[in-house]
Amino acid sequence: MSFTVDIDFDKPDLTADTDTQNEIFLQVFNSGDGELFDKLYRADSISNFSGQPLTGAARLAFFKEFLATKPKLQAEVTHAWVAGDAALIGVRFTIDGTDQDGKPMHLEGTCTDVLRRGADGRWLMAVDRPVAGSLLPE
Amino acid sequence: MAQLTHDVEKHTALYVEAFNAGDVDAVNAMYTQDAVAVWEPGVPLAGQARIDSVRDFLSRGPRMTAVPRQSFVTDDTALLVVDWTIDTTDEEGNPEHLEGVGLDVLCRGADGNWRYAIDDPYGEK
Repeated sequence: MSFTVDIDFDKPDLTADTDTQNEIFLQVFNSGDGELFDKLYRADSISNFSGQPLTGAARLAFFKEFLATKPKLQAEVTHAWVAGDAALIGVRFTIDGTDQDGKPMHLEGTCTDVLRRGADGRWLMAVDRPVAGSLLPE
Repeated sequence: MAQLTHDVEKHTALYVEAFNAGDVDAVNAMYTQDAVAVWEPGVPLAGQARIDSVRDFLSRGPRMTAVPRQSFVTDDTALLVVDWTIDTTDEEGNPEHLEGVGLDVLCRGADGNWRYAIDDPYGEK
């Protein structure tokens, strides 16, 4: 998988720039590689993509399983508040994919993302919270 | 007197207490230095503007209720989704009722205390 964004998965950094954050998030999600996508999160970060708050190994396992079905994510940033080493981002998203029975699946909603800048200057996901539906196929 | 906490679950209640006491310094002490507050939708305030806004708002004797409906807490970062109401008076002195579902981002400082980094009271639309 090739990315047009500059991302080093040994030292992942979503950067301080909101549009770059969104672009990296989209490209890595759409790569279908849950292991790489999980690297955009800190070890103790919480993802609600599954409909449940997941962290650590459970979060990684979900990303691997879910992204393996190659869902296509589109998202645009609606607002971003940056306070030093913390940021709150609002996005509007759609996801198109196939469910477990091979039927087309379409999901849309808004998502709140909290990002943190670590002591080494790298920005990573701390919490994601999609609303208006979980991303799991029914 | 600022009341900070190591327990993020208590932060909202302590904030309501300081707010309803009209204690400007205690309220402001519950924010990080870099904090951003979006008390008017789409208008983020930081630094002195945020601090001054608290003084102005509390001068009208507002009463707040706030209850977290969801919380997501990592080691040093928390996202709270909060149902809140404020009863205050508008600039003409007429009663004014405000309410919303806020999104609060809190960060735990080196001293172990939680503080607001982002206070977006109309965040959940």
